[in-house]
Amino acid sequence: MTAILPLLFLFAAISGTAVVLVRDPARQVFAIAVNGLVLAILFDALQAPDVALSELAVGTAAVPLLFLVALMAVKTQPPEEDS
Amino acid sequence: MSVLPYAVAAWLFGIGLYGIATSRNFIHLVGCLGVCQSATYVLLLGLGYRWGSIAPIFYDHPPGTPAVDPVMQALVLTDIVVGATLTALLLVLTIQAYKRGGSLDPEKLRPMRAVGQSGRDRGSNRVGDGERKAS
Repeated sequence: MTAILPLLFLFAAISGTAVVLVRDPARQVFAIAVNGLVLAILFDALQAPDVALSELAVGTAAVPLLFLVALMAVKTQPPEEDS
Repeated sequence: MSVLPYAVAAWLFGIGLYGIATSRNFIHLVGCLGVCQSATYVLLLGLGYRWGSIAPIFYDHPPGTPAVDPVMQALVLTDIVVGATLTALLLVLTIQAYKRGGSLDPEKLRPMRAVGQSGRDRGSNRVGDGERKAS
């Protein structure tokens, strides 16, 4: 039980690093979702279940969906010429 | 254990700043800003944690049981909601910058001008961008 908390901290650091180092935004969406999931498990292990629930809803579901919507808008809308 | 949350928070903040500084895509940059924000979550929860304590919910524990700090958890909850809002706002600004400037690269972002004031100047800038991209 005492070893799981440092392990989860290390996982959080590794997944945050992965979010930065994945340069393609379409692949970065998956890294962001995994980072949110790891942070939610870490917060639950830190005795903060309400924060873990909020992070699970926001960081794992809502924010990657926002990124997908932004990627879709960028891909489908051509930049307007001289407006 | 007492040093590890601060070290992880510092590492996440530093790697997020590195990603922001070296990013060539605005959407990737917003994701790196999210990593910087997750450093603040880890820092605040690491400040409030105590070993061998329960979650601050006293439904099935007698009052007075050692619990972790609920104030930090409230702060982190607010931080998460503000972070989601900030991400949405920055993504909308990214889409608008792409529609105006035609690129997601921060290096290619030109200063905004009033519409119709200097259309010839904008045209020459766009040609210059094309030359720089070709070379």
